[in-house]
Amino acid sequence: MKRFDYFLPQSLEEALELKKKIPNSRFIAGGTDLMVQIRGGELKPSALISLRSIPDLSSIEINGSIRIGAMTTVTDLIYNPDLEHQAKLLVDAARRVGSPQIRNVATVGGNLCNCSPCADLALSLLVLEAKARIQSLSGTQDVPLQKFFESPGKSCLSPDQILTDIFIEPVSSNTKSVFLKKGRVKMDLAVASVALLLEMEGEICRKARVAAGSVAPVPLRLQKVEVLLEGQALSPELADLAQRMASESVAPISDIRGTEEYRRQIVGVYVKRGLAQILGWGLV
Amino acid sequence: MTDFRFIGKRISRPDGPDKAAGKAHYIHDLKRPGMLFGKIKFSQHAFARIKHIDTSKAERIPGVKAVITAQNTPEIRIGFLRDNFALKKEKVRQYRDEVAAVAAIDPDIAEEAVEQIRVEYEIQPGIFSPDEALQKGAPLIHENDSRGRARTDNIVPIKFHHESGDLGAGRRSAKYMVEGEYSTPLVQQSCMGTAGCIAEFDMNRNLTLWAKTQIPFLAQRDFNRALSDMGLQDKNTRVIVPTLGGAFGTGLDTHTYEYITILLAFRTGHPVKILYSREEEFAYLSPRQSSQIRILQGCDSNGKLVFRKVEVLQDNGAYTSWGATYPSVMMLPATSLYRVPNVFFDARLVYTNNTYCQAMRGYGNPELTWALESNLDELAEEAGIDSYELRRLNCNLPGETTPMGLKISTCGLKESLESVVKKIEWKKKHKKGKNRGVGMASLIHVGGGARIYKSDASGIILKLDDFGNVYVYHGGVEMGQGLHAVLTTAVAEALGVRPEKVFINPTDTGTCPWDVGTHASRGTFMAGNATLLAADKLRTKIFELATDVYPREVKKSLEKYRKKNPGYQPPEIDFKKAARLENFDIKDGYLSIKDGPAEPWLNLELGRFLRAVHFRSQGQMLTAEAFYDPPNELPDFEKGYGNISATYVYGTQGVEVEVDTETGEVKILRLTAAHEVGKVLNPEGLKGQIYGALAQGIGYALYEELKTEKGRILNPNFKDYKIPTIQEMDFPIDLDFIEIADEFGPFGAKGIAEPGLVPTAPAIANAIYDAVGVRIRDLPITPEKVLAELKKLERR
Ligand SMILES: Cc1cc2nc3c(=O)[nH]c(=O)nc-3n(C[C@H](O)[C@H](O)[C@H](O)COP(=O)(O)OP(=O)(O)OC[C@H]3O[C@@H](n4cnc5c(N)ncnc54)[C@H](O)[C@@H]3O)c2cc1C
Repeated sequence: MKRFDYFLPQSLEEALELKKKIPNSRFIAGGTDLMVQIRGGELKPSALISLRSIPDLSSIEINGSIRIGAMTTVTDLIYNPDLEHQAKLLVDAARRVGSPQIRNVATVGGNLCNCSPCADLALSLLVLEAKARIQSLSGTQDVPLQKFFESPGKSCLSPDQILTDIFIEPVSSNTKSVFLKKGRVKMDLAVASVALLLEMEGEICRKARVAAGSVAPVPLRLQKVEVLLEGQALSPELADLAQRMASESVAPISDIRGTEEYRRQIVGVYVKRGLAQILGWGLV
Repeated sequence: MTDFRFIGKRISRPDGPDKAAGKAHYIHDLKRPGMLFGKIKFSQHAFARIKHIDTSKAERIPGVKAVITAQNTPEIRIGFLRDNFALKKEKVRQYRDEVAAVAAIDPDIAEEAVEQIRVEYEIQPGIFSPDEALQKGAPLIHENDSRGRARTDNIVPIKFHHESGDLGAGRRSAKYMVEGEYSTPLVQQSCMGTAGCIAEFDMNRNLTLWAKTQIPFLAQRDFNRALSDMGLQDKNTRVIVPTLGGAFGTGLDTHTYEYITILLAFRTGHPVKILYSREEEFAYLSPRQSSQIRILQGCDSNGKLVFRKVEVLQDNGAYTSWGATYPSVMMLPATSLYRVPNVFFDARLVYTNNTYCQAMRGYGNPELTWALESNLDELAEEAGIDSYELRRLNCNLPGETTPMGLKISTCGLKESLESVVKKIEWKKKHKKGKNRGVGMASLIHVGGGARIYKSDASGIILKLDDFGNVYVYHGGVEMGQGLHAVLTTAVAEALGVRPEKVFINPTDTGTCPWDVGTHASRGTFMAGNATLLAADKLRTKIFELATDVYPREVKKSLEKYRKKNPGYQPPEIDFKKAARLENFDIKDGYLSIKDGPAEPWLNLELGRFLRAVHFRSQGQMLTAEAFYDPPNELPDFEKGYGNISATYVYGTQGVEVEVDTETGEVKILRLTAAHEVGKVLNPEGLKGQIYGALAQGIGYALYEELKTEKGRILNPNFKDYKIPTIQEMDFPIDLDFIEIADEFGPFGAKGIAEPGLVPTAPAIANAIYDAVGVRIRDLPITPEKVLAELKKLERR
């Protein structure tokens, strides 16, 4: 492992200044993605700039809308008493991230900025239609998460920007969600995953949000499936249709974790099962 | 039945607290003054000629103390067939071949230096499967054998063959027969503690090697040979085994990295350590061989097995380790699991440019049993017989001699089958389908050592000090399996002291007597028997001295007792008569007269006795040694005949699964394992062995596989090489230990270290078939494979 310098700035400005000054430097949050890449020789940064000591980056605020600091750990998401009610989907996804040791250091910001198609939090935040607040020396900007992911490992951030917060609007009381993840073993990166959120009015689906992981270069919203469901009375027949559509609308690859064919299968099955689970149909 | 004081009781592991508290010293923790760090440059080509190695840049890096290649070091040939070299000179034959190495003052510098070594290769097309390797005109992986004779094919020159009865006649008498081909993947032992060693020469040019080994004495022999190759004739290696974080077979041979460390230490004059990272362990250490096994077996109309034909093809990789002798164990189930009169067994090992392989727990048995017990269920289906009934009908029996010449002393196969059938509720659940199913599989394994070397012995020394402590010097290796707990219990029981008074010394060829190695489930059996012999000698010595010393000492005790208890009237004891050799006993660390009156002063504390023996004119200190060599035979493997072990163990596992037909996932609902153990010595240790083995067996069945592409391992890390964690073991496990005391076993016990993982995979495969009618013959049973087969079934 190449040696690198390590900085612990005390403010956002200081962090951004350092980043500008030191070529080939990287921000580090929990390091659970970054250190793996450095040890594996994929990245050889000259310096790491830790975001750990910057005030306010690791807090959760809920008043009307929800603000989650980028440095909030996955464990803190799970144990926040209000988040469980206001954004259950995020907490459900958080529970499926890694092991307790990983969750204790891994951050929300890291999960998003690493831009992996399998990122569990990214998936649920996509479905929750979160906004990302991005800060640079020249100012602040809010980006819908849908526009955040560009390609594997690449977000819309430029090197001189920091993700500071995530904003989520609270969901209405007739909203239900599920997070389903298939790993080779229980503790694993997703072979395929689905986050699903429905806002129901009696039998009728008013709003549907569906996203799938590990089936495209980036965490993917399945908008076709959403359109299929919205405004409809949900039935097992429609769920079958949604299953097929989900399988067909993704673009997975075959790799060491799973085959293309298998990933399509799982995404379809999970969309169907997610619907069944939310609507209390039992196993279909 | 004998009443035991400690055997069979719950005792705590002597090595437990230090390990739990992080105080135990693994190779990772060890440092020697002035120690350097070594690092190896691996080829990264599976088959190529080395044209040139440029080490000049690496040599110039500050902190680098030596850069070695085959060009500037003596040639060291290694391996079971001596077809491997510590450093490769002309050719690389596998992706992980060692072409150079560095010693530097810290690991980062060593790593940087290795990166700076430039090697020019002329790449050749490689061979990556046994089938390719066997084709006419296939390139030769080795053009010559170790004696320089030209080779003409890629077949490894070791023969394993067995024929008994009349296969043709057996076949003709069969009413039903089933043929199948089954395969198993490369899997990694996945030790928690990665591989590593420290080599240090003294000024007399003798070597001390701290090594992660299971065979310290065979390793000593190998290393001494290397010293002589290095021009150090008649020099010696002392092998010291630090605390091991698991071995699972990885320590059953000496390794290239060890020889390279030795070369670096000799070149620099400093102690040198090489420690593998997790990725190096995965990519550059030898895994379990992959295999293809073809089985044809048949039964008559009543379900009696009448013949069995087994053909094994093993991908040996580029070089040959001890692990190549897997078929020596494969022969056991092939010839001796159930009664089969006409048997044919043949194993072929083939060189390829894949990673070379070595031993792993079970040593060929999980592979063969996977094939055999899957095929047996298929035969039951074909014959329309319940697969449990088929097994029971062909059950081995105590007292029989099998076609391979195995003498079955005790046999608990029938009991284990019955246990599983009851506990898994076979009659209620078998063939009830609907995505849930039950399956079972049985096993035979060695349980009384395994003579695969000219000696299968194990020595022990018991040394007493002035305080009644017993120091144990034994060549067996504690690698997490609980050998030290068993040794402690055995010594305490056999000698008559308390377990707290027993101290097990580190395994060290400089202090411990010879032992062939901790493998083949032999540790407990050997250590136990050696202990019994040595303890008996020590007790005899004590009793001989006691005839004279005991009366004198207890009379002193009596005086003191009287002072404290005025008016006390001691019973009349005629010490001339009572203090006779055969009348003494030691219990809980006190010497006493058997069946004597229960007077406290008659119990002589062992320490006091020993001091009395020591501190007198012509005093004595007591030790005893024993060398136990079991009554077994080195089989003739080309004929496939010989009683390899003093005794054998049988067992059966049953499992209930649920298959998700849309995702292909297999969920284990519960598992029951009935194993024959002779006698439970240490209940917690035994459970630990079986639980751990089951997890490994489940990994083998469902998850584990080293994937390769042209000889390169694609998943050299736990991110992509999946082993079960506690979350995969979230179902009830019911263990049943069948105790039938064996005449050869210490306290009746047999070895049970490996059997727990042997039948797990076929039991699961059989349960999957019962659940959804899909037969997977290729491990691991991934959801993809199950789903693909389910789709085929649907289309039919
Ligand atoms: C054993 C193990 C298991 C894992 N299991 C899972 C799993 O089940 N599910 C899952 O989704 N992930 C998993 N991961 C991946 C990882 O833990 C998560 O993606 C985690 O959320 C990353 O957060 P981090 O704080 O560690 O990021 P870091 O590694 O510190 O950073 C990741 C990347 O984001 C950049 N970055 C971080 N924060 C910011 C910021 N605020 N602004 C700008 N750039 C930033 C860094 O420069 C870096 O490029 C696992 C990782 C490991 C090692």
